[in-house]
Amino acid sequence: MTISRREPWLLLLPAVALLALGFLTPVVGMLVSSVIAPEGGGVTLSNFERLFGSEYYLGAAERSLRLSLIQTALAVILATPIAYIMSRATSWVRTAVLVVVILPLLTSVVVRTFGWVVLMGPAGALSSLPGIELLGAGSQGLLGTEAGVVIAMVQVLLPFAVLTILGVMSSVKQELEEASRMLGANFWRTLRHVVIPLSLPGIASGATLVFALSVSSFITPRLVGGVQLPVLAGTIYVDSTVGLDWPFAAAQSVLLFAGVILVIAATLRLGKVDR
Amino acid sequence: MVKSVPLVAKAAAVVLLAFLALYMLVPIIVVAGASLSESRFLAFPPTGLSLEWYVVALTSDVYLGPLQTSLLIAVVAAVIAATLGTAAALAVTRFPLPFSGAIQSFLLSPLIVPTIIMGIGTLTLVSVIGQGPDLWVLVVVHAVLGIPYVMRTVTGVMARSDRFTEEAARTLGAGTWSRYRFVVLPMARPGIVAGAFFAFNISFDDAVIALFLRTPQLETLPIAIYGRLEFSTDPSVAAVSTLMVLITVVTMIALEKAIGLGKAFV
Repeated sequence: MTISRREPWLLLLPAVALLALGFLTPVVGMLVSSVIAPEGGGVTLSNFERLFGSEYYLGAAERSLRLSLIQTALAVILATPIAYIMSRATSWVRTAVLVVVILPLLTSVVVRTFGWVVLMGPAGALSSLPGIELLGAGSQGLLGTEAGVVIAMVQVLLPFAVLTILGVMSSVKQELEEASRMLGANFWRTLRHVVIPLSLPGIASGATLVFALSVSSFITPRLVGGVQLPVLAGTIYVDSTVGLDWPFAAAQSVLLFAGVILVIAATLRLGKVDR
Repeated sequence: MVKSVPLVAKAAAVVLLAFLALYMLVPIIVVAGASLSESRFLAFPPTGLSLEWYVVALTSDVYLGPLQTSLLIAVVAAVIAATLGTAAALAVTRFPLPFSGAIQSFLLSPLIVPTIIMGIGTLTLVSVIGQGPDLWVLVVVHAVLGIPYVMRTVTGVMARSDRFTEEAARTLGAGTWSRYRFVVLPMARPGIVAGAFFAFNISFDDAVIALFLRTPQLETLPIAIYGRLEFSTDPSVAAVSTLMVLITVVTMIALEKAIGLGKAFV
């Protein structure tokens, strides 16, 4: 019997040890380093004072927040009907849509952004569409515009939203919809009052995931938006790899991480109130 | 009787799916198209049709070295993640454990911590207490990223399996080795395969951690592509990007043959 009591812990130990070493230590160490004074090792808030006193960094943080909210809203609004169609479609339609969603998901963000850069450049197909100036396109096409960043980012984020919402949408019983229809509600009313409310937990967790991914992306904003549209994740990258100012980059990471945690906590609360 | 879906809703669904296919696939099609161009410059639609940029990409050290590095890291990270993640999942699904919820949350937490934070944390750590990043540091972080996916797929499969099969094997005298070899691991197999598939692709596609940990000796394929994209270049970068997509397609087909795509994703 002693064997079987030790068995689960022996199974768990390697994974827990690897995460403690390769995940917990670096993340906690980095967060702590944001308040360590360079000489003497005392506690200091100077990195945060510098961060909150700088218009450049506050502007980057504001852009991060604003674009992430827009991207999250667009991704969820598109993903919800797509997930609904997938959950109610015949099996081959479902598989086809699944492939369309998964193939980009499994393609490196660098490669997908590359495609957008070609499309959005001055000679790209997207830049010659009529009315594209309304989105702010100039002599560089959509490159260097926030609209361009949003278009490219939503394509990156959409698969995560669709797959998360699909999981919950598939478990909403079709009998409930039938009951609602038989009791006289039409198709749209049933969607609005039965399907959407029952899928809210999935929509909420999809939104959380997309927001967290969105606010910490810097490759797409950098390649499409360029240096004149800095986002917080981008300034963290530059300050830590080019500037080698790790404590200051750590302070920016604390701000970013705090934002993500706030959103997750708010979503969890929302989910509880709903039940 | 189910009342029918109104025609306008059906039409809207068709339009939405058509838009989805266009939106999701267009960037990939553009890259693949540009790689076939005869011209020396990146363009879409391509001018002329040739495979010469594939020859250029596959014969130059610029991409060949990073391709080998990427494949090596992704395979090793996927094997580590699949092994450790499966073991942990088998522990939390088959035994009543104290703090089981907390342990599972901890093992899944790399999913919600932004990768950029893991990137800068790891870079700082290995630079302060070690000699800076090397290949094995990247393997460890990629394995950490893969473990939650393996945990999720294996716990999913085990939750739907029959718990008493193992009990029966034990009663009939099967030792620890035989129980795992002939009962538990075969039951978990679809979850292990799907988890390993995710872990491989996450490592192979990762650009964030790899950018933070890049050194002149440590460059993965996405980083090599990113580096070329910052300057405008010839279509060989499109050719090598298309090869990356093709490798992903091959792993997707392998997954479909092994357990079916639908099972792995929903």
